[in-house]
Amino acid sequence: MFPPILLEILVLVTGFVLLLAESFSTSTSKRSLASIGIFSLGWVFALSFFVSSAPAAVDAGSYWNFYSADSVSLLFKRIALLTTMGVLVMALDYESVLAKNIPSSRPGAGTGEFFILPLFTCAGLMLLASAVDLVLAFAALELVTISFYVMVAYMRRSHASLEAGVKYLILGALSTGFFVFGITWIFGITGETHFAKIALKMASVQHSDVAILFALVLVLVGLGFKVAAVPFQNWVPDVYQGAPTPVTAFLSVGSKAAGFLLLLRVLEPFLGVSSLAPKILLVLAFLAGATLVFGNLAALPQNNLKRLLSYSSIGHAGYLLMAVACVGTARSGFGSVGSTVGFYLFAYLLMTLLGFIIFSLVSTHSKGEEIHHFNGLAKRSPLLAFGLLVSMSSLAGVPLTAGFYGKFLVFAQAVNSGHWVLLSLGVVTVGAGFYFYLRVVAAMYWNEPSESAPIPVSFLTKTVITLLVAGIFFFGINPKPVLAAFQQTAIQSAKAPSH
Amino acid sequence: MESFLAWLILLCPLASAALILSFAHESKALSVKISLGAVGVALAATLFLVFNQGVCQSSFTWIDLGPALRLSIGIKVDALTRVMLLVVTGIGALVHVYSTVYMEEDEGKARFFGSLSLFMFSMLGIVLADNLAMMFIFWELVGVSSFLLIGHWFSKESAAKAANKAFLTNRIGDFGFMSGILLVWAATGSVEFSGIQAGLEKLTSNPGLLTLAGLCLFCGAVGKSAQVPLHVWLPDAMEGPTPVSALIHAATMVAAGVYMLARIFFILEPSATALTVIASIGAITALMAAFMATQQNDIKRILAYSTLSQLGLMVAGVGVGAWGAAMFHLFTHAFFKALLFLGAGAVIHAMHHEQDIWKMGGLRKSMPVTFLTFAIGTLALTGAPLLAGFFSKDAILLAAWHKNTLVFGAALLTSLLTAFYMTRLVVVAFLGGPRTEAAQHGHDCPAAMTVPLVILAALSAIAGYEFFAKSIFGAEIFHKVHEAEHASIVPTLAISVFVIGTLGAWLVYKGTSVAKPAAKMTDLPKDPVVIPLFANKFYIDELYAALIAGTQDTLASLSGWIDRVILDGVIVRGIAGITWGAGYALRLLQFGNLQGYAFLFGTGVVVLLYLLTK
Repeated sequence: MFPPILLEILVLVTGFVLLLAESFSTSTSKRSLASIGIFSLGWVFALSFFVSSAPAAVDAGSYWNFYSADSVSLLFKRIALLTTMGVLVMALDYESVLAKNIPSSRPGAGTGEFFILPLFTCAGLMLLASAVDLVLAFAALELVTISFYVMVAYMRRSHASLEAGVKYLILGALSTGFFVFGITWIFGITGETHFAKIALKMASVQHSDVAILFALVLVLVGLGFKVAAVPFQNWVPDVYQGAPTPVTAFLSVGSKAAGFLLLLRVLEPFLGVSSLAPKILLVLAFLAGATLVFGNLAALPQNNLKRLLSYSSIGHAGYLLMAVACVGTARSGFGSVGSTVGFYLFAYLLMTLLGFIIFSLVSTHSKGEEIHHFNGLAKRSPLLAFGLLVSMSSLAGVPLTAGFYGKFLVFAQAVNSGHWVLLSLGVVTVGAGFYFYLRVVAAMYWNEPSESAPIPVSFLTKTVITLLVAGIFFFGINPKPVLAAFQQTAIQSAKAPSH
Repeated sequence: MESFLAWLILLCPLASAALILSFAHESKALSVKISLGAVGVALAATLFLVFNQGVCQSSFTWIDLGPALRLSIGIKVDALTRVMLLVVTGIGALVHVYSTVYMEEDEGKARFFGSLSLFMFSMLGIVLADNLAMMFIFWELVGVSSFLLIGHWFSKESAAKAANKAFLTNRIGDFGFMSGILLVWAATGSVEFSGIQAGLEKLTSNPGLLTLAGLCLFCGAVGKSAQVPLHVWLPDAMEGPTPVSALIHAATMVAAGVYMLARIFFILEPSATALTVIASIGAITALMAAFMATQQNDIKRILAYSTLSQLGLMVAGVGVGAWGAAMFHLFTHAFFKALLFLGAGAVIHAMHHEQDIWKMGGLRKSMPVTFLTFAIGTLALTGAPLLAGFFSKDAILLAAWHKNTLVFGAALLTSLLTAFYMTRLVVVAFLGGPRTEAAQHGHDCPAAMTVPLVILAALSAIAGYEFFAKSIFGAEIFHKVHEAEHASIVPTLAISVFVIGTLGAWLVYKGTSVAKPAAKMTDLPKDPVVIPLFANKFYIDELYAALIAGTQDTLASLSGWIDRVILDGVIVRGIAGITWGAGYALRLLQFGNLQGYAFLFGTGVVVLLYLLTK
């Protein structure tokens, strides 16, 4: 048993050690860096089951004042670790593309950091999961974002990557500005940055509603950018398409999970106030509706699969926001909103990662990202085709997949809260989703391939694909383990005394 | 211990199916071993449960969405379950053994045994389920495995078509079944048998809903147990290998409908209307199928119509309130009908896949064991005194006699016809001299095929006696079997119709025998009685074809117009157009210019500020 913060420290130390090793090593292949990274993260994942819990009494100067380690944060940490490992596996397969797009004097030069930076993102995500104070939350979020800035623009010979990097940097900075501004307003009004203390202040001290709402708009703008909510989604298609594919996958899973976790945490203290809650939920419902419609409809005419997946990422943010918009109003009986969002994010992680892994392999091999490059994949590489079929079905929401259950829970929340407009938008957009997701499936299974050579897949990647497929089916049929974990934490955090 | 055994019974065949279909499909011998092992374990566990009168219930929550919907995967073993378990695993085991030889030279032997294991798993799931939702899942699964097995020789067009027909026809019934489950769930808030029973008052307080729910549930049985008007799939299902016909389409799956009715009888009982409908459908099926059976020439088809007819009798039994008697008949019928099918399989096997009884004859001498066991099965089915069928049929007749004279009349006439067509079958196929060369060189099959016949023949002889049946049913249910008051006129009438039917057929058909094999096919003797209405199965297939085709044509042209002009033109194209247009328009927002994005971003902030602080 050891303090949970050691997990983050271990990941960071691994990152630093690898950076140093990379700069002094003379080896041209940087693949071992990724392998060491995956291995270390695996260890940290195992260690996460043996951490001690938070102390009952907290000193004034202790880090426990802004750090918590309840089981929901541990669960998110594990999810972050697994995601990063998946991304590193993808990065290994992506090395050839990377090397071509980086100006270098000798082969392999300059690719090293690409395998190391995800570790820092991962540390940021893990810290974020534990942050119960706005300042730490902000610092962690920026650790995530800044490492993403670098990774998005990593392929310096590719115009698309550079353009994506610049767009992400400038718009990201803009949104960060709004977010920090919002935090200062909250601090100005309540004099606190700790979530629980803010909640206490909200309950006890007289305050101006308009000022708080103003602060919350600013925070929502900042987080809306992270989770790709309309109207702050502009950057998503361009950045997702331009970034190296493993980074796109990481952005789409990690950045979104971080955003939603923080969104739930930040909103919680304010939803208890009866004069504020309806207005906040109205704005959330508006964001959810706009995001659902935009994400799913704009995906319809897409022929580029990477771009299609980026719109799909916006669409799924819509469903998640739909669940968030039910916070506090949902009647009991269908589990908490927290567990719904948690399960949805988990399912989204499985199916998105799977989709991107296969997309990355096929597009690298057939040198194109259009849907027609996937024609007849079932005849060339049945495993890849089946994996993508499962991923697309789950994203669309076919029963017996994890994606279906996630949508089911979200809709159940909406029904319980009486969000009928959102619900009908949700149903219509799911219909649209079936169209564009299954287009990919149709191309793979019905069209004739232009080449017949199977696509080589490494053993490691095959294992990851198999595990993800199995996970999608397992949690689609039996979602209880994940739901129970989140449910349990909801109970625990309700009982936990505020530090 | 009991619940461990019950789970073992359920999961062994699943493991076997999974192993065979994913790993062992290359090796025939290995898949046979796995499959036999699984069914052996299941049978042993069942025997233990039966002899110890084991009772248990065990379930775990599958989907828990609060009080509104809680689905569990659970098993329940009681007296009723044990009877059905014994039928399924017992006959299942015999059929497995028999199939090892029957399917000897088949290319897809491994696939066959894999599907057979899948069927065992699905069927046992129905039997063990402690709630309607789980039962429905397994209900569909037996549909799938039945589809796979009927279509085992899928390269044969008729087999593929028959598989489709069976599956689609069942879907109609299953739709009703599902509606019934939803109705019951909506009214009582539970899909578990115990929960429904607890909340039954909410259903009985609304007689209309009760009847509707009962009849919807009955629809499931109409499909699976092939009752009129959905009976058409069963005769065609004879395209499957004969062991499959014996196991699935005679002894177990088609009886699932009757078992289900017995399980949910407490829902049906309060509604007299529902019971009358059930009794009528059963009686009509029994009678119509018996008429059709008198004019068939294919040995398996005769047996198939006979199965239909007997299933009708069981359903009618449930309809007159005697579900105990229906279960008793299901139990005895399973033995002698499986015996008859396996016997027919032996004949077909020996005659190199010849199924026309008019090309057989004289098999009594060349296949003595098969003949003897087949004759016992026939006598048991036709209701010869002292054999199993006599007792169980008597129980149903007795209940009908007290309850509904019309149903009793139909059942009695059915018995007469049963004696007639079965005797016809035996006289033409087994007695006299061989009609063809093939029939002359018939021979008994290897032990793996004859031993199951002998075992089943023994069971067909004793299954009706109290000492045997009571030990399996348990005293409580066995009491249900014979709860109707005794009336000596009923057995008298039953024996009379048996004698009349048998003698009648003997007199009509003994003249068709020949002295030596015919040289040409055209010289073969013909059926002296030809009734086109029966031979053509009341033209029901033709009627459906015409009805469906006619309705389809009219509807198709009408809906074609609506579809082209209104739906496609206005609604679909309209909606799709709007959606696509919206998609394109929304895509225009993605113009790629950074300053523009920042501007939109700012606009978004203003909109949110307005919304929140207005």
